[in-house]
Amino acid sequence: MVEDRLVTMQIWDTAGQERFQSLGVAFYRGADCCVLVFDVTAQNTFKSLEGWRDEFLIQASPRDPENFPFVVIGNKIDLENRAVSAKRAQGWCHGKGDIPYFETSAKEAINVEQAFQTVAKNALAQEPEVGMYNEFPDQIKLTSEQNKPREGCGC
Amino acid sequence: MASSDKVLYEKDSVFIHTNVLESKDKDAYIPGRIYFVEKPEGMFIEWKVEEVSSLDDHDWAVVGNAVGYKADRDSESVTINAKTESRKKYNISFDLIDLKSIKTSAIHHGWSYLIFILKDGTTYPALHFHSGGTKEFFTLLNNHVHIKRSPNDNRLYIVEEHDPDMLSKSFDELNLFSDSSEHLVSIQEAFSGNLSVRRHKQKFLNDPFTSTLGGFSKVTNFFKDVLLQPESMSTRPREEMAEVLNEDIAGMEINHQDEPGFELITKKKPDKQVADPKPPSRPKFKRTKLPPRPTVTRGEPLQAHQWAGMMDKDGRVLNVEEVKEIIFHGVKVWKFLLGYYKWDSTHKSRSEERKKKVDDYFKMKLQWKTISEEQEKRFTLLRDSKALIEKDVSRTDRTHKFFEGEGNHNLQVLNDILRTYCMFNFDLSYVQGMSDLLSPILVIMENEVDAFWCFAGFMEKVSSNFEMDQQGMKTQLAQMHTLMHFVDPELCSYLESHDSGNFYFCFRWLLIVFKREFSFPDIQRLWEVLWTDKPCKNYHLLICLAILDTERATLMENRFGFTEILKHINDMCFTINVDQMLNKAEGIYLQLKKSKKIPQPIKEMLEMNCTSSPSSSSSSSSNTTPSGAMAPPLPSHLRENGTHSAPSSGSGTGRTSPDDSSIEILPENCEPSTSGLHNYYL
Repeated sequence: MVEDRLVTMQIWDTAGQERFQSLGVAFYRGADCCVLVFDVTAQNTFKSLEGWRDEFLIQASPRDPENFPFVVIGNKIDLENRAVSAKRAQGWCHGKGDIPYFETSAKEAINVEQAFQTVAKNALAQEPEVGMYNEFPDQIKLTSEQNKPREGCGC
Repeated sequence: MASSDKVLYEKDSVFIHTNVLESKDKDAYIPGRIYFVEKPEGMFIEWKVEEVSSLDDHDWAVVGNAVGYKADRDSESVTINAKTESRKKYNISFDLIDLKSIKTSAIHHGWSYLIFILKDGTTYPALHFHSGGTKEFFTLLNNHVHIKRSPNDNRLYIVEEHDPDMLSKSFDELNLFSDSSEHLVSIQEAFSGNLSVRRHKQKFLNDPFTSTLGGFSKVTNFFKDVLLQPESMSTRPREEMAEVLNEDIAGMEINHQDEPGFELITKKKPDKQVADPKPPSRPKFKRTKLPPRPTVTRGEPLQAHQWAGMMDKDGRVLNVEEVKEIIFHGVKVWKFLLGYYKWDSTHKSRSEERKKKVDDYFKMKLQWKTISEEQEKRFTLLRDSKALIEKDVSRTDRTHKFFEGEGNHNLQVLNDILRTYCMFNFDLSYVQGMSDLLSPILVIMENEVDAFWCFAGFMEKVSSNFEMDQQGMKTQLAQMHTLMHFVDPELCSYLESHDSGNFYFCFRWLLIVFKREFSFPDIQRLWEVLWTDKPCKNYHLLICLAILDTERATLMENRFGFTEILKHINDMCFTINVDQMLNKAEGIYLQLKKSKKIPQPIKEMLEMNCTSSPSSSSSSSSNTTPSGAMAPPLPSHLRENGTHSAPSSGSGTGRTSPDDSSIEILPENCEPSTSGLHNYYL
């Protein structure tokens, strides 16, 4: 439920290994929001956010790339060996036009709900108005991509 | 269910059949109850797993020779409750307004079942009504929604939308009869909704030709959607419809898959446009350019004594082609099919071959087993493949008896075979999907070495699926388009106009050769058929066609688009009847074979030109033997050791050390056992 509206989210994960991504780009098109997930215990996953974001914008070619809703999630906060600080992640998000940032643990179900609430809200905000040709106006297609997914990404 | 909910109907003995386990297994049938519930937010259909009751027969257990009541009821009910808990994931609940169609069982199927398909493509598992009730349920449903039987598929029922204004409104807004280009773009807007309208406009300005034709395809699509509705079905002359449906753009062919996002439009060769005799089987459309599809039934599986009779006294297989022919109709001689043994091998040569294979395997296994942690630190490729394999092994077929439970030793075997494969094929290494291909082989072989070599033989056939450039996958997706275009142009054009001409929805089928779609017995059966290369090469593509042919009415009459098709196809796993598909695929093959006008690319793809010469196919099968030109055999002083220890690490000790307990060696004439894998250690 987002602001009293029942929303159905369709969440797509990118396909495993790098080599399968070449076909995956077809799935970016038509997305209403893009979720970038990194692993707070692995530097390299944070560093590659930039690349994923660029790739998404190129492939999805949204009508307004500057204002296309992204959400960044730093996952695996249940683990001890943290390698990316919240401050650093927030800094990056701020530099990209204030992307909302969440720290989650899919394993412990921490903050996942909140993150997806924001995903839904921002995707809905993109909708100009309820489409006249849409047969079921309550259903919002929401697509997200996740890099570095781990077991049960909480969706 | 909340107290405000009003149950209008309920029926027990409604089962979900899970095919993951052997079908004989009682756990494969999950009992439940179907409800029709009126809630404040709407009408709901629900199915709930049956809660454990005290009368449940689980409380009875075999004690010694007699059947007695189990004293320890507490612990028993705890385990049952755990089971109920884990089964809750099967629970179904959806709002009636989301229901798009219902698929029923075939008349002589046994237990009648219903499959609910929602508007977003969600396809629930079949609900089997073990004590009847489907008719009542249908009648009840009909009181709330309007259900029509599909004119093209008598098992498919479509829930109709009631909005008489919709059609005229849509026509108004289409601006079909204006010639301004801006309006043409608005047609696209009408259909694409909010989806990057500006991009379309931009695209139109950049490339008016492609965009215009793209727009046309959407109009065609619109017509099709309207025409496919059952009412208009009955009122419009069928010939007229066939014309609209089949001739998108005369003489043009739209190719979606060469480059994602672009449509390549080429002038078709004139021979493709030749009118064909109408097939008697499906009079409604100019459905196919092929002769009628024959009905095919499969032969009996090969029996052990027959198999023995096919060898000479030394154990040579006498007539390879005849044997393959029989295998095509069902039998398990995997080691021959996968190139582990050559067809012309003898009992003696096979025993030698096996010895060599055991040596070769453990030599390769030793290579990764002896890499120290220090070395690993400077070996990214190995580290990555190790991590990936660990991740995948822990989620491969964990509900299957063979792999279930924490610390299941078979997982370790799965892991070791895959790690060793990285040593066998450094260039490819491990790619996701391989664990799926290995798992059914391991279950059949029940032996690490045999499973490895059979897996390596299978990989020889499908390794292009896993290569970095994905060329193998792209080729097959393109081949699917070529085949579909010839065999079922109507479905092909439907898919094209619904962003699915790239056949991405077949990706999983092709990548892991239907592994996720079928139960273990079914996939094992399907694979051995495919491994014979009978009746033609790339027969798996005809299997794809057969499955899609079965689903064509569901896809088209529900007017599924890209995401819905993908979702429906993905949800279909474990619902496909393997025998029917094999029969249908063979039927399609026979149709193609009889057809005089097969395009050259299809002939080449299926290698239908050359009537299979015995020499060529037998040599190709023996060539698939993964070569194992390895150094001298391991020391033969093997001794049995009952315990299993973790790989020795950090020591970098000599590989011939008799104390290296990390190396598993199988006995030379290890027979498959039902209790699992034999483990012997140096």
